Amino acid sequence: MPAPKTVTISRAQRRAHLWGYFTRYLWWFLGGAAALVVTNYLGLEIPAQLGRAVQLLKESEAAFGPATQSALLNIGLIIIALAIGAGVARIISRITIFNAGRFIEFDVRNELYAKLTALDPTFYNDFPTGEITSRVTNDVAYIRLLFAIGFLHIINTSLAYTIALQKMVAIDWSLTFYCLAPYPPMLFMMLLIIRALFDQTKIVQAKMAELSTKVQENLAGVAVVKTFNLQAREQARFDELGETYYQASMRLALLRGALTALTVLVAGTGTMIVLLVGSRRVVEGSLTLGEFVELNGYVVSLAFPTSAMGWVFSVWHRGQAGFDRLIDILYRDSALTAAATPQTLPQDAPIKGGIRLEGVRFGYGEEQVLRGIDLEIEPGSTVAIVGRTGSGKSTLIKLLARMYDPDEGRVLIDGVDVKALDLRALRSELGFVPQDPFLFSMTIGQNISFGVDAMAFDDSLEREVPREPLIPGSGDSRIMQAITVAGLAQDLDAFPEELETLVGERGITLSGGQKQRVTIARALLTNPRVLVLDDALSSVDTQTESVILDHLDALMRDRTSILITHRYNALARVDRIFVMEEGRLIEQGTHEQLMALGQVYAKMYEQQKLRESLEE
Amino acid sequence: MSKDKQNTSQAIGSGFKEQSVGDISDRQLARRLWRYMAPYKWTFLLCLLLLPLISGIQILQPYLLQVAIDDHLVPGKLEGMWWIFAAFAGTLVGRALVEFMQLYFMQHAGQRALYDLRTEVFAHVQRLSVSFFHKNPVGRLMTRMTTDVESLQEALSSGMITMLGDLFTLAAIVVVLLVLDWKLALVSFLVVPPLVGLTVLFRHFLRRAFRDIRVKIARLNAHLQESVTGMHIIQYFVRERVSTREYEDINVEYRTANVRSVRYDAMLYAVVETAGSVTVGAIIWYGSGQVLEGVVTLGVLVAFIEYMQKFFVPIRDLAQKYNLLQSAMASSERIFQLLDSTELLETSSDPVPVPAGALTIEFEDVWFAYNDEDWVLRGVSFCIEPGEKIAIVGRTGAGKTTIMNLLLRLHDVTRGTIRVNGQELRRFDLQQWRAHFSVVLQDSFLFRGSIGENIALGAQLASQQEIVQAAKAVSVHELIMRYDEGYAHEVKERGGNLSAGERQLIAFARALVHQPEVLLLDEATANVDTETEALIQQAQEVLMAQQTSVVIAHRLSTIRTSDRIFVMHRGELIEHGTHAQLLDQQGHYNKLYHLQYSAGSGA
Repeated sequence: MPAPKTVTISRAQRRAHLWGYFTRYLWWFLGGAAALVVTNYLGLEIPAQLGRAVQLLKESEAAFGPATQSALLNIGLIIIALAIGAGVARIISRITIFNAGRFIEFDVRNELYAKLTALDPTFYNDFPTGEITSRVTNDVAYIRLLFAIGFLHIINTSLAYTIALQKMVAIDWSLTFYCLAPYPPMLFMMLLIIRALFDQTKIVQAKMAELSTKVQENLAGVAVVKTFNLQAREQARFDELGETYYQASMRLALLRGALTALTVLVAGTGTMIVLLVGSRRVVEGSLTLGEFVELNGYVVSLAFPTSAMGWVFSVWHRGQAGFDRLIDILYRDSALTAAATPQTLPQDAPIKGGIRLEGVRFGYGEEQVLRGIDLEIEPGSTVAIVGRTGSGKSTLIKLLARMYDPDEGRVLIDGVDVKALDLRALRSELGFVPQDPFLFSMTIGQNISFGVDAMAFDDSLEREVPREPLIPGSGDSRIMQAITVAGLAQDLDAFPEELETLVGERGITLSGGQKQRVTIARALLTNPRVLVLDDALSSVDTQTESVILDHLDALMRDRTSILITHRYNALARVDRIFVMEEGRLIEQGTHEQLMALGQVYAKMYEQQKLRESLEE
Repeated sequence: MSKDKQNTSQAIGSGFKEQSVGDISDRQLARRLWRYMAPYKWTFLLCLLLLPLISGIQILQPYLLQVAIDDHLVPGKLEGMWWIFAAFAGTLVGRALVEFMQLYFMQHAGQRALYDLRTEVFAHVQRLSVSFFHKNPVGRLMTRMTTDVESLQEALSSGMITMLGDLFTLAAIVVVLLVLDWKLALVSFLVVPPLVGLTVLFRHFLRRAFRDIRVKIARLNAHLQESVTGMHIIQYFVRERVSTREYEDINVEYRTANVRSVRYDAMLYAVVETAGSVTVGAIIWYGSGQVLEGVVTLGVLVAFIEYMQKFFVPIRDLAQKYNLLQSAMASSERIFQLLDSTELLETSSDPVPVPAGALTIEFEDVWFAYNDEDWVLRGVSFCIEPGEKIAIVGRTGAGKTTIMNLLLRLHDVTRGTIRVNGQELRRFDLQQWRAHFSVVLQDSFLFRGSIGENIALGAQLASQQEIVQAAKAVSVHELIMRYDEGYAHEVKERGGNLSAGERQLIAFARALVHQPEVLLLDEATANVDTETEALIQQAQEVLMAQQTSVVIAHRLSTIRTSDRIFVMHRGELIEHGTHAQLLDQQGHYNKLYHLQYSAGSGA
């Protein structure tokens, strides 16, 4: 399978897009940052108070009095107040910033989903479903972390350092300098390790991907594996890949261990230097004991913000890489261009659904599927398109619904080029019953009314829910009428909760014929101008088929029906038959005319009769 | 014009059933997990022993500070302080070292255990019968074998042991504080009960929020998954915006659940941090009086404060790691469910060797159903003599493929028996039996690797010469040599970089290399150009010339040259005989022949 088509955008565009999310929640981020200022400011005041207390205690050894006692009590209370204040600000900072991350995640998800609904089938041919869902699920989470964790810790660490260093310099600038002296080489080493860690993580992920690919290949080729007795070979290969994965993981563990060890050293080195240099100065008298304790408090408080930076680094990289993968969806252009000033379909004609194809050529990529089709379907008629698998029937229908645009030629509905119409207005006039009876895992009732949902709830669509009954004079609801017309009424009684019965994943709980009839009811409910049944009765027995077609005849009198079918009893009743072969329209006419012609259609018809006799 | 307000409570994907977990208790799961950890128990034990070391070092640092203050800074004498510096430096380096070792060994043991588990799962899946794969989508099995095993990693290689470490540190600090000054210790611990109460409370809310999040994300993903698969339907019925709104509504619920968890998480985090600082205040408040009275030294007070700040970190981490453990348990349960699935073919405990030489295969009233009474084969009986060329014909679903599968014993017959030279098929060793066959399937599945490897597949002893010989025999040699690397040409996933015709011919060469007693061939109906078609036909004749062959036939040439034709219809063998005999019968075969094989139709 070729690699999915990727999209690239400029760095500036990329930055602007990410920056857009940030500015959307700018106030949240700013609020969070303000709370971080408060929490760090208050929290880092505690070592100062502690230093004061220790100094007071030390000095009071000589002169002990109630003043000292109450001063100390005060300090205790101040520290408690500071702690509570810092804690509240901490809660606020985390809530605002993390929520901003959650809201960005929410927005990105919605943006992606809306974009997905606007992409044409060529996109879905390029990207497997799993690939799309994994991007929308995992990569979006990485973007959230980029904003939430990244922002929180970058700000927090900068603030903690700024405030603590300021206070430390005020006490003893040279000692502060000594504390910082080991930082440059250590941070440099840390950066090296982090970079190696990042590269190694990629290697481990690649090894994991190889392992997954092996599993996938093994599962997909299970028949070959079993018949050629390849179990031992497969196991050996898998073990080998598992072993290389283990080796790669252990290298990663080595680096992670090194990073942890280095972090311990970086975080502890300040304390060490305060102890080493500070105690000398205390004894010399250039530093009080209180100041010593205070300085110690600052370096201890900086330990966590320091180690958090390693985390920020990995979150940053993963977030950027995740966004790159989303670009393939977010910046993909639909192959279908919208009409600048869309025309509308004529509404007042008594008989609707005329279709004309003029010199239509089309191919998926290199291979030509339709090689110059000219065809005319009278409004209000019922026609059939026949031909072998791969002759281009389904493609022709897809052009009608503008899933693809023809490479050459035009497709017109009631005299209007489909490209000149609003895409969704066009599709809302068509009732499609596709070959694959795809149902969603909702109730049967919801599946049937799937097609009128947009008419009922979507303000951007002009069409209203059709009201005219499907069966004249029937007292039933429209949905029940659709069920009757689609020949589903009896089946419905057998379902435990009738319309409320849940259809499992991909309609798994229904039989093939039931699924097909639900999809027919779904299309009928929309009162389409053109109804298309793409081999939609293949799993229904011929008797039921006849009944359904009888219903449809009455129902679709003023509108057009197109049947793609192999069944001859359906062919005998249509107004016109189009015969396709290798992308060309080779014969057309009524059943009688084509039989009289005695060419391709006549042969196909004989064969089909034979085939059906074999089924009996 | 405004339309109705949409009710999105029952959206796409609402019928999506989550797989049920929670049938196996955590204790049982832990016991089963332990089985994979047990081989590395010494490494785990080593890590366990390193934990008190880490705790000890952590406890040592404030103590050194205390000694420095009391013995040197307060009296103002520097002499003899060098050992404190040395010890402090030692604790730093020591802690770095021990943490490194702990992490490394833990990873080693965890990764090894996972390697074993992964291998076992893979081996188990290899043994599962083909019917298992009919019921379980590949995607789900993939998740079990990759993602689920991965999520165990964190729990196994860090979570569980460090949780013990946290408990250990906690206990050690408590003891040290009580020894240092039990009254001050008790005062400090005053914060603990309300803190634990709050932690438990927040954790309770958090857990509920997490459960909610899990349900919502499953809904969200189900909606997405279904929408992506059924996007063409959504677009046909212009339901884009309605579906988007549904998705957004579930997304709102997901976000709300997350916002709730963020709230409790932030509180839990802050409360623990605050508790440490509040205790500092309390110690100053109470402890300073003690210092003034001379009961407690200044150094002890400072040390106490440091201890209390370290004390609360494990409490917070415990809460976080617990969540990690929970998701690991869910994963392990799903993995064990896969390991417990027992759709294996019954193997004979005392297998009989497959008879050497000519094989006579006999089906005796064979019935087969994938499930219940859905009969795919209904009482099929026949006998294939050594060297016979059998063609099976019939419409889709007539049971042709099932006969092949039963011959290979991919499934066992539901009723009736299959005998080989009078012995029941089930009594043979499975792999030994299958080694007598070469199979060419419709979909010529190729593995990643070189073309040469794909031809030799499974026949380890095949020499390069034999491979080339086979390729020449089926006229694929020239096609292969057109590639720069020839036989070393890399085949991509599923042979995606080769044409259908090439794949087919390579599969033929593969079958030939194996020199089987019986050839099973499912003729491909894929569209290939006439030139390739001619090559394939020629190659097939070469292939079938030598041994017993059973072919699901689509080609006219195949049925004409076969010794006997089996006509299958709805699971029954309704006619059999040579082509000429069957045509004369004017029965089902006659019709089928005219439909599928008569010139000019080629369906």
